[in-house]
Amino acid sequence: MKTVLAIAMAVALAGLLLAPATDYAYKAGGGEACARCHEIAPQVEAWMESSHREVRCEQCHHSGMLTNMRRVRDHWAGEVPAKPRMKHADVLAMTERCRSCHQQEYAQWRNGPHSVTFESLFLDKKHNSERILMDDCFRCHGMHFEGGIEDLVQPVNTEGPWELKRADLKNTPALPCLSCHSVHRTGQPLKGHVRKAGISWREEIARPSLALFDRRSLAPVALGDLPLPVVYEDERPVKMSPDQRQGLCYQCHAPLAGGQIKSGDDRTPMGVHEGLSCLACHDHHRGTTRTSCATCHPRLSNCGLDVETMDTTFANKESKHNIHWVKCADCHPKGVPPKRVSSSSPRLAP
Amino acid sequence: MKRRSFFLVASGALTGAGCGHRRSAPFRTLSESEAATLEAWCDALIPSTDGTPGAKEARTSRYIDIQLTRRFRKFRPQYQQALAAIEKMTGGRFTEISVEERTVLLEKIEKGEGDKALWGPDGGREVFNLILQHTLQGFYGNPRHGGNHDYVSWRMLGIPVVPVRGRGVAYGA
Ligand code: HEC
Ligand code: HEC
Ligand code: HEC
Ligand code: HEC
Ligand code: HEC
Ligand code: HEC
Ligand code: HEC
Ligand code: HEC
Repeated sequence: MKTVLAIAMAVALAGLLLAPATDYAYKAGGGEACARCHEIAPQVEAWMESSHREVRCEQCHHSGMLTNMRRVRDHWAGEVPAKPRMKHADVLAMTERCRSCHQQEYAQWRNGPHSVTFESLFLDKKHNSERILMDDCFRCHGMHFEGGIEDLVQPVNTEGPWELKRADLKNTPALPCLSCHSVHRTGQPLKGHVRKAGISWREEIARPSLALFDRRSLAPVALGDLPLPVVYEDERPVKMSPDQRQGLCYQCHAPLAGGQIKSGDDRTPMGVHEGLSCLACHDHHRGTTRTSCATCHPRLSNCGLDVETMDTTFANKESKHNIHWVKCADCHPKGVPPKRVSSSSPRLAP
Repeated sequence: MKRRSFFLVASGALTGAGCGHRRSAPFRTLSESEAATLEAWCDALIPSTDGTPGAKEARTSRYIDIQLTRRFRKFRPQYQQALAAIEKMTGGRFTEISVEERTVLLEKIEKGEGDKALWGPDGGREVFNLILQHTLQGFYGNPRHGGNHDYVSWRMLGIPVVPVRGRGVAYGA
């Protein structure tokens, strides 16, 4: 009798404690505690194999009491989604978590092009008056936004004036870390010393987290499934670097159907730099390039041009100096002159 | 009862109530045996062969189970009846017999030749088509809905998971 009573009390107590206890289960953080909730077993298993296996769940995932109670409530109400999925706000909050450990990458991303905000993408007068706003915009930026374009901007026409229906997103980055990185996947942590000793930038292998957040399937798609396109200069297939990491860039910086070089947002290197990877010149997060030139030049330069200061900037795709497409003949229309300076010429300092 | 054991019971009740001890996610609407029957059914509709994935790899039964909590909620009774009926026809061995044997049975249902006492006046034709349709959705649909696990059917067909597609294609003019 006494035992029965005790069990009854225990169960009642369990009810009372349920919320804090699940809260504890999440916070205790050992993957095991979390894994008890069957819905997230796949994530726990992936995490145990991932490069972040030494990072605890709640160092990335918000684990406030309210959130955890929401999780339990949804669970019991049968409102569990087809797959557990982070909300837009969770994704943004996580950027700050990433920042706490990866300050350098965060700062570079902040100063680079990919921290572009919702406001500058979706309230751009020129863009909006030329191209009608549509849901497809979210494929390449704002991919974590929950809703259609009409939930974000109004009016959806080419006349404007446009305003954000979700004014709170004005200064919010539209390409957060999780647009390009996914954490729950197999990968070895690279300990600093291994990296320095073994891998130079040239032969760098892809980091395991690289993945595009695919708006259609609402899931990150890993590098192995991001194809490198065949790009043509008229009929000729342009020689393409095999660097798989470019698969990520090409999801957004893509040529138009037909795959012609220079079409759409294409930047496939052709001419003197044909066959180089985007990441041979562009650094990961800042998007800057100048520091890269000296890694190959002057050794490979024929012309005695100072790559540190030479003009590469031409928004005009027809420019003869466009760094992505310049050919010997563009600068030497009468034919390449005979070589005068030796390749070790000091003219090309540094 | 000592205090310590009291807490053991309490924490047992907790974990029992809150989450199970399982590693792989249980089904949401179907019982374990119903799920197994459904999986055997789907497997006969789209069998896995040496080279190509089938309903099993695509996890179509999981897709159906998830959708039974949402869009397919109204079909729950039909599923329960059909799964019970097919088990009755085989003396509860539907999951054990071979794909070929299962196919023979399902062909009967497809033609509406099922026992009317078990399958209703149309001999099972309607529910057969319902399950077929849902299985195809779970096989070819987008993984976000719970089927086509790891894009297996798209891979089989050579459809890229995400194609390279610039802005402009969808812009018409
Ligand atoms: C508690 C600290 C911590 C947090 C928080 C954290 N990381 Fe890491 N991260 C690490 C450690 C440790 C490594 C392993 C270092 C190595 O591989 O050399 C790592 C490695 C990485 C790598 C390289 C390996 C790979 O898997 O590609 C990337 C990219 C990365 N983290 C991105 C992120 C992102 C994005 C977030 C936010 C969702 C994040 N990290 C949050 C500590 C953290
Ligand atoms: C295929 C991916 C893709 C789609 C779809 C897409 N964009 Fe972009 N968007 C990009 C890329 C890549 C850039 C950077 C282009 C560059 O600087 O070379 C960009 C840049 C922009 C810019 C900055 C100015 C400019 O044009 O470079 C605005 C504004 C913009 N996008 C708005 C939109 C809107 C609005 C839509 C929907 C109508 C849209 N984009 C659809 C990939 C895309
Ligand atoms: C280094 C940061 C990090 C750690 C540590 C981490 N996660 Fe995640 N988690 C993420 C990110 C980022 C995503 C988004 C999907 C992805 O990147 O794979 C995610 C996704 C998830 C999801 C699915 C929701 C979705 O939107 O896909 C669940 C569930 C989850 N994590 C649970 C856990 C559990 C449980 C642990 C501890 C065992 C854990 N996570 C540890 C960063 C982390
Ligand atoms: C536009 C895509 C993109 C975005 C957005 C992005 N990254 Fe990266 N990140 C990359 C690429 C590309 C690499 C290089 C991976 C490689 O070399 O395999 C990288 C590498 C990393 C690495 C590994 C660096 C190393 O030396 O191994 C870390 C850590 C990282 N990113 C963190 C972050 C964090 C934190 C954010 C958000 C503040 C972020 N990234 C946003 C594309 C992105
Ligand atoms: C998820 C989509 C996406 C991916 C992936 C992506 N980018 Fe971008 N990128 C953009 C958008 C959008 C902009 C425009 C930002 C703006 O207008 O300020 C941009 C801008 C840039 C810029 C500066 C453009 C300018 O006009 O100044 C460079 C350089 C760049 N990206 C290089 C890369 C490289 C290299 C990769 C692959 C490692 C990559 N991007 C991957 C979407 C993407
Ligand atoms: C990964 C190595 C690599 C990087 C990084 C690189 N280049 Fe080059 N560059 C080459 C090669 C290889 C050639 C072609 C040499 C040949 O065909 O004889 C070349 C040729 C050139 C030429 C043609 C004339 C000449 O001097 O040979 C110019 C101009 C040039 N590069 C400028 C730049 C600038 C500016 C940068 C930095 C933004 C840069 N390169 C970054 C490898 C590189
Ligand atoms: C040889 C080095 C090199 C390679 C390889 C390279 N880029 Fe660039 N890229 C540059 C330089 C230098 C600039 C800066 C141009 C300027 O504004 O002076 C640039 C600018 C850009 C811009 C900004 C818009 C513009 O054209 O000014 C984008 C976007 C871009 N690159 C994307 C890419 C992508 C995507 C790839 C791979 C497909 C790639 N780049 C390969 C050197 C390179
Ligand atoms: C961005 C413009 C540019 C490009 C691209 C370029 N050159 Fe030059 N090149 C020059 C200039 C400027 C000079 C120096 C003036 C001159 O001698 O005509 C020069 C000089 C030369 C010289 C004579 C160098 C010496 O010994 O003094 C050779 C050889 C040469 N280029 C070969 C090439 C080859 C091969 C390519 C293609 C891989 C190439 N150049 C691409 C601008 C360019």
